[in-house]
Amino acid sequence: MLDIVSRAKAHTCNGATRRDFLQIGSLGAIGFGLPQYLAAKEQGVIDPAKDRRSAIMIFNLGAPSQLDTFDMKPDAPAEIRGPFKPIPTNASGISVSEILPMHAKIADKFSLVRSCFHRGAAVHDSGWQIMQTGRQFTGGVNTPHAGSVVSYLRGRRTDLPPHVVLPETMGRGGGNLPNGQAGGFLGKAHDPFSLMADPSQKDFKVPDLLPPQSIGQARLERRMRMRDLVDSTVKHFEASESAKLMDENFHSAYRLMTSSAARDAFDLTKEPEAVRERYGMNRFGQCCLLARRLVEAGVRFVTVNTFLTVFDEITWDIHGSKPFTSIEGMKNIVAPMYDKGYSALIEDLAQRGMLDDTMVCNIAEFGRTPKVNPAGGRDHWPQCFTVGFAGGGVKGGRIVGASDPIGAVPADRPTEPPEVVATILHSLGLNLESHLPGPAGRPFPLIDFGFREITELF
Amino acid sequence: MSPIRFFFRLIFVGQETALMADRNHGRSMTRCNRNVLTCCLTRIALFCSGAIFGLSTLQSAEIERKSGIRILPANIDLRGENAWQTICVQNLSQDGRLLSEIGEGVELQIEDTKVARLEGRRVIALSSGKTSLKASFRTSQGTTLTESIPISVTEGDRAVEIEFRNHVQAVLARNGCNTGACHGAQAGKGGFRLSLRGYDPTSDHFNITRQDRARRIELSEPSRSLLIAKPSGAIEHKGGIKLPVDSHDYRLLVEWIASGANDTQAADPKLKEVEVLPGQVQLSIGDTQRLIVRAHYDNGRIEDVTHWAKFSSSDESVASVDEFGQIKVLGPGEGAISVWFASRIALARVIVPYSLDTKTELFDTFPVANIIDEKVIAQLRSLGLPPSDRTTDSEFLRRAYLTTIATLPTAQETVEFLEDQDINKRERLVDHLLERPEFVDYWSYRWSDLLMLNSSIIQPEAVKSYYFWIRGHVAKNSPWDEIVREILTARGESLENGATNFYAINQDPEGMTENACQAFLGLSIGCAKCHNHPLEKWTNDQYYAMANMFARVRAKGWGGDVRNGAPERSLIVLDRGDLIQPLTGKPQLPAPLDAPTLDPNDPTDRRIALADWLTSPNNPYFTRAVVNRVWAAFFGIGIVNSVDDLRASNPASNPALMDALCESLQEHHFDLKSLMRLILNSETFQRSSRTTDANRDDRKFFSHYYPKRLMAEVLHDAVVQVAGPPSEFNRTELLGSDFRKTAFYSAGTRAIQLYDSTVANQFLKTFGRNQRRITCECERSDEPSVVQVLHINNGETLNPKLAQDGSNVDRWMQRFMSDWRGLIRHAYLSSLSREPTAVEIDGLESEIVNVTDDERRLVIEDLLWSLMSSREFLFVH
Repeated sequence: MLDIVSRAKAHTCNGATRRDFLQIGSLGAIGFGLPQYLAAKEQGVIDPAKDRRSAIMIFNLGAPSQLDTFDMKPDAPAEIRGPFKPIPTNASGISVSEILPMHAKIADKFSLVRSCFHRGAAVHDSGWQIMQTGRQFTGGVNTPHAGSVVSYLRGRRTDLPPHVVLPETMGRGGGNLPNGQAGGFLGKAHDPFSLMADPSQKDFKVPDLLPPQSIGQARLERRMRMRDLVDSTVKHFEASESAKLMDENFHSAYRLMTSSAARDAFDLTKEPEAVRERYGMNRFGQCCLLARRLVEAGVRFVTVNTFLTVFDEITWDIHGSKPFTSIEGMKNIVAPMYDKGYSALIEDLAQRGMLDDTMVCNIAEFGRTPKVNPAGGRDHWPQCFTVGFAGGGVKGGRIVGASDPIGAVPADRPTEPPEVVATILHSLGLNLESHLPGPAGRPFPLIDFGFREITELF
Repeated sequence: MSPIRFFFRLIFVGQETALMADRNHGRSMTRCNRNVLTCCLTRIALFCSGAIFGLSTLQSAEIERKSGIRILPANIDLRGENAWQTICVQNLSQDGRLLSEIGEGVELQIEDTKVARLEGRRVIALSSGKTSLKASFRTSQGTTLTESIPISVTEGDRAVEIEFRNHVQAVLARNGCNTGACHGAQAGKGGFRLSLRGYDPTSDHFNITRQDRARRIELSEPSRSLLIAKPSGAIEHKGGIKLPVDSHDYRLLVEWIASGANDTQAADPKLKEVEVLPGQVQLSIGDTQRLIVRAHYDNGRIEDVTHWAKFSSSDESVASVDEFGQIKVLGPGEGAISVWFASRIALARVIVPYSLDTKTELFDTFPVANIIDEKVIAQLRSLGLPPSDRTTDSEFLRRAYLTTIATLPTAQETVEFLEDQDINKRERLVDHLLERPEFVDYWSYRWSDLLMLNSSIIQPEAVKSYYFWIRGHVAKNSPWDEIVREILTARGESLENGATNFYAINQDPEGMTENACQAFLGLSIGCAKCHNHPLEKWTNDQYYAMANMFARVRAKGWGGDVRNGAPERSLIVLDRGDLIQPLTGKPQLPAPLDAPTLDPNDPTDRRIALADWLTSPNNPYFTRAVVNRVWAAFFGIGIVNSVDDLRASNPASNPALMDALCESLQEHHFDLKSLMRLILNSETFQRSSRTTDANRDDRKFFSHYYPKRLMAEVLHDAVVQVAGPPSEFNRTELLGSDFRKTAFYSAGTRAIQLYDSTVANQFLKTFGRNQRRITCECERSDEPSVVQVLHINNGETLNPKLAQDGSNVDRWMQRFMSDWRGLIRHAYLSSLSREPTAVEIDGLESEIVNVTDDERRLVIEDLLWSLMSSREFLFVH
């Protein structure tokens, strides 16, 4: 209840009309009506006590090498252990790679699952869909991103969209498959809001967020009135999902445009320079900072793409040869950037008392081959890799599962993608046994039967 | 760990890498999902079918009168002792269509029980002879329906001989041994390598029986052979237990080894065809149906291979299928189950009517203009899906303009058409549109998408040359096969013969092969570059045979980065040279995919033979691919969806319609305008986008027109047409986001006249134009997003154009003076191609009247903005 009252308040405070509220009203603007939401709450699909919870998913495009970051094998032969050494951390029993020194200072706040694996193809695209949705797409059924599930079941908390992707949705992975960063069968209405801009740029602003100076409140309202009049003659369009969605988008956009709180959330100049620098003055660092601001402003789910593609960009994809990245590229560019951004985010959330209500998970499409390849890099390896979790109820400083002596296969507690997604949804207070409306109205389980959250983390 | 969880761990995790089998193509994940789904579905199946689709469908399914039963297959031909055939008993409709499978209450009897015996639904051979199988079923009305089929058993006194290629390989494939994550990996697993999905039986036999000093086979004691002891769990196997000791497949391998572990014999029959039964069946929601898969060999032998086949559903919203071939119907529509056996694909079509209440006579009343309507109505009849009414003149006008020439009709054109009393005016309009200059702009643009005209791949001058080559052909309406032939056989200077740029965009034989297949055949054969195609019949050898057709293409001049060098490039073809097949290290004899091999020493340009094969009317893909692309441009969705995916396991939503259109296009010698004319004049195209209660859920059978957002470029041009000021196109954007000036486009150029997908424009980017980075229509996004709406509201397109001096706001205010109603009407005709309603005109007029003179221009801007931001404007409908 609190949720709905506060939404109404926030809205009128920001100068939008009461009429607007009545018209857009409930969560209907994103395809989830108020009665539906209440019903869901009543049926125990969502835990109202955890309504404050949010999640930040850091997706490490390219896929970091577990053996050079979070699952070092110092006792393995040279061609396995690679060039880096482990360093101790502030959590007993956890060591990380020397290329992540700032991680070592906050290891008591995050936990690692070192036995994750998936059964999909060892190509980026399939890993993207499997890790973000918990399933491989088959039979034309595209399952929704974890954030889109939250968007569907919870709706927006404020004027901001429920699920935002920074800096923009993933690009090419080489397989030309859907990347799982979408609403899937829940419909385009639950696609994440993609920022489409680089927050580290000097003149950063969200494209098209604000009306031009010449269009004030009165004109805005007149336009809405006139548009409603014109558009009301095509009510029969409602049978088409895409036309219906266009209408919903108009309402969502209007809320976003007219909300000053929403605008402020995107304004990084409101942060002290020291804070911005602590996160790192690069795209990833500033995205992490923006993620924190968006969560503060009420966004339920933020997905940060560490990179946009694996081609012609220095990424985690360290095949060792062009157009991919070398192991030095990772050491000198990728790891320092990541180390800084991630540690700043965790520290910042902790200092602000937000960490308990914000789950930060760092995942990737797979791990990398235990053996260093002839080019001095490592190739794709879905058989075993490490994923990390912090906050949102997760206890820090733990290691769950283990890989074998060369990091090739899980040796203990094999963990599958549905468990990773379940862990996120569980943290957000969703009942994992509930169902979504699948294709053709068929009930579709939130998480495949037989899987649940990684209990050892909580 | 809960017991259930533990159970799943046993199944999925305990087997470690073995169940990761097929990892490279995710099939075991499919299986995993499917199991999970089945569990879930048993819990909710009743709820699902009852609550969501309503009980009426179920009841009417029972009401439909059945006239008989049918045993599948129609005759049983068993060869060898203990050979078997599974059967199904189906209900039969009055007009002879197969209906649901009868699960309970069928009595089966074999006449001569010395010849064959029954075990459940399996007929098993005992001794040579002929007999029959009789099925009888007592209906709820009390009548008894019967049918008999003949059974023939030959060689009944001899055990079935086990053949390496036909049997052993099938066992290895079905149990996942030769998948990508197991022994089918490039390097094998644990030192043992098999060819992926068994594409190379000769080396597989060698590796099994000879490699490593023949340690995998123990002729004297087969069960101690590594080949058997490992997968059966007798000794440790990293892949887990794949062949339990009492399984049929285990016994088969034991017998094969015991009988000498022979390689494929010259006399062994070859697989001719894979058949699935029932090939087409009408079911209801909640029904289950077992599939039977039969292999037909070239010596006449027919074998039941259901247990070795792999199944997948093309549309999980209609039906799902489990790994044993059991279908479960989930929703209405038409779906297909594809069956894989020995690298062949067969399809079973499942028809699930939306409603059985719709009288079939009703379908006789719907008008039929041409062959399209015949085929569409026939399908709608079988689905019980009545079509919507004919669209209004105004809707037709707008739809025909936008889909044929990507241009809005002007106010004057609209009025003339609406007032025209000629009953043939729609047909006349179609003929007129096909000859308009904008037709050439639009279709040149679409083919430029297909051919990837993109100045971040080739130099701008080359893009321009390629574009004008395409444009020339569109203007002449050249037959499609000629256009493609010219591309495939192009040679000469890139700036003189634009078609040669196909070979500048694709510079190696593999790229040329893959993109030619994708663009002209709708086939992705990239998988076969490394191994046999997992979803298609294409083998690794066929891939290199095809690529070798391009092996002699060479170029001089530009060939590097688009930022550097002069654009000239000349294409030559050598008279010798071959592409090496990496697997063998030798040239693969040149052949176009499944066509006969060419003489490798013939110096003639091999691309001529390639073009002959590719554009031949006998090529099953070429005509379908272009028909489907054209259809999708007019209807928003292809008959095969998506348009770039014509593989056998992705069937057409209406195969008869596809066949009829292909036949028509070939009769018209690939004249694409003939196809467009057929489409535009069909009642199917002229159907309203207003749905009825009965057809609201249809998304692919064309019972009504599906509203679709205008493609980015068309929407841009429509905005310009209504607002007035054109956009400037003076920069292109390179990969890496740096810009380059371009002087190609004069003031007033429309977006559909651009040559190049990299011309910088925020509107086109936001609305998702085809970026032309790969050959795929999927690069284009027509989905609405919040970002697009923000651009309409706040972006640098609509607002500045409306505000600009001399825009249509000024022109119309001058023209209509203070006749606001006249202005509103004109604005409606110009943007929405219709008259405003009384409510609209009154409401909008009051907005205009109620402001001061100073504010008046702004309110007219807002009027045009409102029209252009309405869905009626943004969509073709």
